[in-house]
Amino acid sequence: MSTATAQSSPGGPGPAGPDGPDGSRRRGAPPKVSDRARKLRPYLLSVPALVVVIGILYPFVLGAYYSILNYTASNPEPHVVWFANFASVLKDPQFWASVRVTAIFAVAATVIETVLGVVIALLLNRSSFVGKIFERVLILPLMIAPVIAATIWKLMFNPQFGVLNHVFGLGTFDWLSKDTALASSILVDVWIYTPFVAILVLAGIRSLPREPFEASDVDGAGWWYMFRRLMLPMMWPYILVAVIFRFMDCLKAFDHIFVLTAGGPGLATRTLQIGAYEDSIIFQNFSRGSTYMFLLWILVFITAKYLVGVLGKAQRRAAGAEE
Amino acid sequence: MTSPSRGFSRRDMLKAAGLVGLGSTVLPSLSACGVGGGERHPNGASEITGSFDWKKLSGQTVRILQTPHPYQQSFQPLLKEFTELTGIQVVADLVPEGSYFTKLNTELAGGSGSHDVFMVGAYFIWQYGPPGWMEDLKPWIANSAATSDEYDFEDIYEGLRTSTSWDFTPGSPLGTGGQWAIPWGFENNVVAYNKAYFDAKGIKPAEDWGNFQQLARDLTDRNEGRYGVAFRGSKSWATIHPGFITQYSRMGCKDYEVKDGRLVAGMASEQAIEFQKAWVDLAREAGPASWTTYEYPDCTRDLGNGNAMMCYDADSATYPKNKPGASKEAGNLAWYAGPAGPDGSYATNLWTWSLAMNAASKNKLAAWLFIQWATGKEAMSKAVGTAFADPTRKSVFDSTFKQTLGAFPGYLDAFEKVVGSSKIQFTPQTQFFQTTQDWSVALQDIYGGDDAASRLRDYAASAEAKVNV
Repeated sequence: MSTATAQSSPGGPGPAGPDGPDGSRRRGAPPKVSDRARKLRPYLLSVPALVVVIGILYPFVLGAYYSILNYTASNPEPHVVWFANFASVLKDPQFWASVRVTAIFAVAATVIETVLGVVIALLLNRSSFVGKIFERVLILPLMIAPVIAATIWKLMFNPQFGVLNHVFGLGTFDWLSKDTALASSILVDVWIYTPFVAILVLAGIRSLPREPFEASDVDGAGWWYMFRRLMLPMMWPYILVAVIFRFMDCLKAFDHIFVLTAGGPGLATRTLQIGAYEDSIIFQNFSRGSTYMFLLWILVFITAKYLVGVLGKAQRRAAGAEE
Repeated sequence: MTSPSRGFSRRDMLKAAGLVGLGSTVLPSLSACGVGGGERHPNGASEITGSFDWKKLSGQTVRILQTPHPYQQSFQPLLKEFTELTGIQVVADLVPEGSYFTKLNTELAGGSGSHDVFMVGAYFIWQYGPPGWMEDLKPWIANSAATSDEYDFEDIYEGLRTSTSWDFTPGSPLGTGGQWAIPWGFENNVVAYNKAYFDAKGIKPAEDWGNFQQLARDLTDRNEGRYGVAFRGSKSWATIHPGFITQYSRMGCKDYEVKDGRLVAGMASEQAIEFQKAWVDLAREAGPASWTTYEYPDCTRDLGNGNAMMCYDADSATYPKNKPGASKEAGNLAWYAGPAGPDGSYATNLWTWSLAMNAASKNKLAAWLFIQWATGKEAMSKAVGTAFADPTRKSVFDSTFKQTLGAFPGYLDAFEKVVGSSKIQFTPQTQFFQTTQDWSVALQDIYGGDDAASRLRDYAASAEAKVNV
């Protein structure tokens, strides 16, 4: 392969064209590349993308492969059992209990965080000294690792010496009992992630155009009318982005719930992720754990696809491209 | 769509490359990466010949995987003595207890052999042993070229030697088969109590189960922030293994019995149901208010803070709370064996941190020399003098350890009362972690209001199906 070298021509700038009469390349001219190298270049440029794709897909394909094996710690030489793990998991009442817990957790946490986040964003949008302080304080829960946040809350929930029972005079009320543990887990999630929604929506509100609001103000529209007819439709794509992030995240909830209750009492807070962790890591039934994860992935994929569709529609509507 | 006249386009090429890349790179390597745990490794003891010499591998390095623990901490300053004795450098990697077994499991499953020696509990042998991840140490102990004449394996308490030995046949008793680890430190599950409070009120520890329950209830005053007895209740196998299985065994109950080659669950027998219902009632009426989240640090914290008047857990977990300055109640605590069974039984479940050799280790003699040194009389005697609780050797207990127990009233008596019947009270089986965690879930459900008899019958049926697969 010929190599183009950048050499200065002794006689200064010559006529147009890459090469001088002696075949050397003129200053500023593009390097000479052989036809073969030119044809190969796009493929070489694609190699990093291919490597990244394989890097992303490898663990996923490995997990899917595990889910069709009977691989456990006590059976380290597994063979393919095809869909036996799926049949076993789908017949297991613990799996359906986990689906129910995951669904309740995801829906409740997302709804509460969204409503609170939007309200907080609207309040913070009114520029004031207190608002500016709150904006900075608001981000603190997001800066704490969920495991640490859950540990702090677990101490606060303690009926013996926890601050909550002391302040509210609740005696020995058990925040993490079979009947209350899921609600308490949602409370902790709301505490950590409502600021995320608020910050995202606040950024959205601040990017909205002023003109429609000024025009409706001139026309004498009230605050509620402007909020309902102008602000909310324009804010909707930002709210939906927050909903998508939070809902996907809640479907995969693990860390703070595990710290608070380890999925108990009984099955009261056993989410699908906790089920997968128990099977894979504690019980070392790697194939069954992978099956849980694969089923969770299907759930997340379908939900994400639906919500992204809704988001697209909302964006088109906000842009006036669709009624 | 590709035009036929264009032939093989760049896009087609990329698609094909992607598929070939996935097919040729990913799929064949799936079975080689992570699945299978690598090959089974032959035992290395027979390769060691000649006379025993600590300096045989001078200049080499042994890598050990540990979790921070009083046992490990008491040995840490002594590692240089091992290097002086053998010329072998020790690289000790520490992983926090919360993620220790995840790390260990991943490493053993991968078959990399990057650590030669690791800390392990007895129950884990039931899981890591069958796949061939652990070296059988029996041939090493028997090989005089590898083991010093002074080692004296029989000096280790019998209940501990058998707890780390099994033939991997579900239901087969412990003590059969290979020696998969050497006990390094251990814990008996007995009762620690607030002696200062007991003395002030003129209360004596209860010696039988009925009086124990009554005493715990009498000691409870929620308004005063005081309750009778702390014991674990979280959703974990570790809830079952300390006080619960100890008292369950003392009451004559069994987890499984072998009948016609099958394990038959005993958790739903009339006697077992009665005991478990009483245990959960005790938790509700005289236990910690958030029992279903309680792990051992919560129990010992409440004992040390003066909230719990008694604590039914590992002696070495409660022991540190009595050291000067270690807790509010330091100096006020004492121990006793706990309530005896109806027939006077002091059957006690033990936990042992043991040292095991990675079957995939490339440096097995160095690994064995380290294990031999750490579980030997000399090193253990020195470790006991610092922070070590419950040495596994009778000679060390009788000499050095007894001298350190002056400020720990009742500890020695409790130890001596239970040590003869202290062993693993569970029936060994490979589904231990799942079935035992399920047991804790059943207790939590009963605590939450489920009918004890029907919930335990469901649990027993499910456990029986799992262990007999």
